[in-house]
Amino acid sequence: MSASTRPVRVAVPRGDLRTPVGERLAAAGFRAQGYLEGSRTYRFDVDGIEGVQLRVFSDQDIPIQVALGQYDLGIASGTWIDELLVRYRHDSVVPLRPLDIEGETLVIAGAPGASLAGLAGAGVVRVATQYPQIAHHYLTRQRVPDYRLYEVWAQAEAWPPRDAELAIASAAAVAKEGLGVLGTVHRGGVWLIANREALATRDLSAALRPLLSLARATAEGGLVDPTPLAVTRGTSQVVPARERFRIAVPDGHAQRHTVAALADAGIAFPGYEAASSVRYPESGDPEVEVKVMRPQDMPRAVALGHFDLAISGRDWLRAFLATFPAAPVTELCDLKRSKYQMGAVISDDLPVESIEEAIALWRRDDPEFPIRVASEYASLADEYARTRHLGRYRVIPISGASEGFVPEDAEILIEGTETGTTLRANRLRMIDVIMESTNCVIGHAVAPDGARGARRAEYVERLRAAAEAAV
Amino acid sequence: MPDRGLHSPGMRDFGPEEMRRFRGIERRFLDAVEGAGYLEIRTPTIEPLHLFTAAGTLSPQALERVYSFLDWDGWSGERVVLRPDATVAAARWYADAVRAGGASTARVAYVAPVYRFAVDGDREVWQCGVELFGSATAEGDAELLTLASTFLRGLGVSDFTVDLAHAGLVRAAFAAAGLPAAQQVEAYDLMLEGDSGVTERLAQAHPDQAASLRLLAGVDGASAGYIQNLRAAMLATVPAAAGPLDDLARAAAALDGAGVSYRVLAATARNFEYYSGVTFRFRQGAGTEARTLLGGGRYDGLTQTLGGAAAPACGWGADLLRLAKVAS
Repeated sequence: MSASTRPVRVAVPRGDLRTPVGERLAAAGFRAQGYLEGSRTYRFDVDGIEGVQLRVFSDQDIPIQVALGQYDLGIASGTWIDELLVRYRHDSVVPLRPLDIEGETLVIAGAPGASLAGLAGAGVVRVATQYPQIAHHYLTRQRVPDYRLYEVWAQAEAWPPRDAELAIASAAAVAKEGLGVLGTVHRGGVWLIANREALATRDLSAALRPLLSLARATAEGGLVDPTPLAVTRGTSQVVPARERFRIAVPDGHAQRHTVAALADAGIAFPGYEAASSVRYPESGDPEVEVKVMRPQDMPRAVALGHFDLAISGRDWLRAFLATFPAAPVTELCDLKRSKYQMGAVISDDLPVESIEEAIALWRRDDPEFPIRVASEYASLADEYARTRHLGRYRVIPISGASEGFVPEDAEILIEGTETGTTLRANRLRMIDVIMESTNCVIGHAVAPDGARGARRAEYVERLRAAAEAAV
Repeated sequence: MPDRGLHSPGMRDFGPEEMRRFRGIERRFLDAVEGAGYLEIRTPTIEPLHLFTAAGTLSPQALERVYSFLDWDGWSGERVVLRPDATVAAARWYADAVRAGGASTARVAYVAPVYRFAVDGDREVWQCGVELFGSATAEGDAELLTLASTFLRGLGVSDFTVDLAHAGLVRAAFAAAGLPAAQQVEAYDLMLEGDSGVTERLAQAHPDQAASLRLLAGVDGASAGYIQNLRAAMLATVPAAAGPLDDLARAAAALDGAGVSYRVLAATARNFEYYSGVTFRFRQGAGTEARTLLGGGRYDGLTQTLGGAAAPACGWGADLLRLAKVAS
C-alpha cells in the first residue's frame, strides 16, 4: 500500500498516559473501541471516521515512529519528543499542539545537600539518566566543565549517591528515592505531533480536525535553559578503593528466578523476595551490600567497578558488549534459569526458508529497499544487520513492547522467545537464532584483590554448584 | 527529491582534479607558514567531547552542531567528538606537549578537516591555520596579522581588508552595562548578526554607557583615530577597556605597517568563547558579495581551560577550498 492510499496513521501511548489521552480523544469524538478500556489489541479503527487507524506504542517510541514517517500523527510526552528533537532538531517531527494532559517533569537530583557548583568544581560529574540527549543539552548549557553520562534503561534515580553523583529523572521518582532536587531540566507536557512530510503531502484532515480540537495546555512545558555555573575545571579527588563487597540483584521478570537461584545456594537477602523488594535488601553481613536494580544496567555498573557481582541475563551482557566490546565485564557463572532463544523474527506469511531468501524477497522490486530491524536490543539488531549483510538497513529502537511491529512497522524483529507460542499466535517465526540466553552471574574482567576477591570466588562457587545440582 | 548520490549529506568527494588543486593550495600554505617558523602538526579526528564543553571553549550554540557519540569503549559515559574546531585541538596538543616537557613557545600549523552539522552545505570543512603559543599580546598579534597578509598576497589575493575587534572590549562594555556573563555570548552573536536592538536596549537601560555602546556597536572604525575616540568615550565608565584598546591600537599599527586597510568593529568571531583579545577576519569584496578568507584572534585562557598550563596564545584559520577558489 503506498503512502498516499494507506490510512492516516496515528500513534497513541500505552501506560500511564493511556487513560488521560483516551478520555480526551473520546470527548473529542475520536473514539477507538478498546483503546481507553486497555484492550490488548494494538491497532484500532476510529468510530465513524473512515481511513484513520490508531496504533498503540510505548510513549518513548512514538516520536521515533512519527519521525520515521511510519505514523503521520502521534501523541507523546514532551520529554520523549525533546529527547529526539534536542539532538535531531532538523528532523521531521512537527510539534502541533500542547495538550492539557500532565506529563512528567524532569529534574536533576543528587544526595540531599549536594550542590551542582560544588560537584562541578570538584572534577568529573557522573550523571545517570534515561534521557542522554536532554541531559547533554542541559549540562552543556549549565557549563558543567566535565561530565560523564550513564545512559540507563530505567531507574536513573537509583544511581546517586553511590554509583553516580547525579541523576536526571522524573520529579516523582527522585522524590520517592529521597534525593535532593538541584534544578528543573524539563517542564514536561504532552503534545500532538506530526510528520513533516505527511503534513506537506497527504490529506490528514480527517484525523487532524478532531485532534486539533483537543484542549490546549496553558503552558507549553519543554526544555529549561539553566543559568550557567561560574566554575572552572576541577581535579577529581582520588577515590579510595572500595572495601565493602557489593552485589546487584535484578527486579522485574528476573526477580523470582534470582530469588530461587539464591535460595538453592543457601543465600537469602531479607527485603528481596520473589514478589517484592526494597532498594537495599539486608545481606546479614556488614561487609556485604546488596542493591536491587534493572538487569539491563548491570553490565555497565559492573564494568564501572560499582559492583563485584551482579545477576543479570546473558542477553543484556551480550547487548552491552556489542556496543562496548572493550568493557571489562564478563560472565562468571551460568544460573541456567530463565532460558530462552533470541533471534531474528519475521512474518510467518513470507514464503522463505532463510534470511537470505527473505532479503531477496524484500528487495525484489527495489534493490535499495531499506530493511527495518526493530528491537529492544538495538545494539544486537545493529550487529545482526551488519554480520548478516543486510545492506541498507535501519534499526528502529523500541522500548519493550514489540507486538505488532512485524510486518507493518518492521521487516525483522530481534526478539526472545521461550517456547515460540506467542510468536506463532502472532503469525511470526524465528528464522535465525542469535543466542541462547539464561540468567547468569557477571563480574569485572579483573577479579578484585583481598577479601572482596575471596568473597566473589565463594559466591560464584556456591551459585555454580547450586545451578548445576538443580539441572 | 534530488539525487545526491551515495555519499553522506554534507560530505564531499575530491576527484583527481580537485585533489590536484587541494594539494597545490595546501603546499603553498605550508611553504608560506613554514618559512615563518610554523611547523606542521596533525591532531586526531576524534577528541574527547569534554575539551569542547567547558565555558571558554565553544558556545552551547556551536555545541549543538558537533558530531558527538560514544566510542566503542565509551561505557564509562565519556563521549567523543569528530574534531569540530582545529584551534581547541591544537591547544590540547600544546597542553600535552608542555606536560611532556616540550618548549613553552611553539609555532604550529595544520591542515585538517573540522566537522559541524549544517542543514545545507558542507559538514566537513578543510581548514588550514597557524597557532602561536607562548607569545605575549602585542608581538604575537602583529606577527599573525603580518603572516596572514603575506600569505594571502602570496596567493595573488590583494584586494582584501581586515575587520578588527577585541573580545575583551565587548565583554567589558556588556559587563559594565550589567549584562550577566551567560547573556553576553548571545548578545555578542546578535551584535555580529547586525542586530542593533541589543545594544540599543542596553544603552537605554544604562544611559551612562550609551555613548560607548553606540560608538562600539553602531560605528565601524576605519583608522587608529576611531580607537582614540573609543578611548575617550569608554575609559571614564568602562576602565576595563583600557587594556583591550591598547591591544587594538597595536594591531591597527601592525596593519598600517603592512599597508593593509582595516575596519574596527565590535565583534568578528562567532560561537568561539575562547577568544580573549584581538580578533580579526580578512575579507574580500563588499556587501552581499563579501566573503571571509581567514579569521582568528587571541585566546589566552584556552590551554588552562582545557586542563593544561596557562599560556598566551593566538592563531588564525581559513577554509582551504575557499582559498583555492580565490588564489591565482
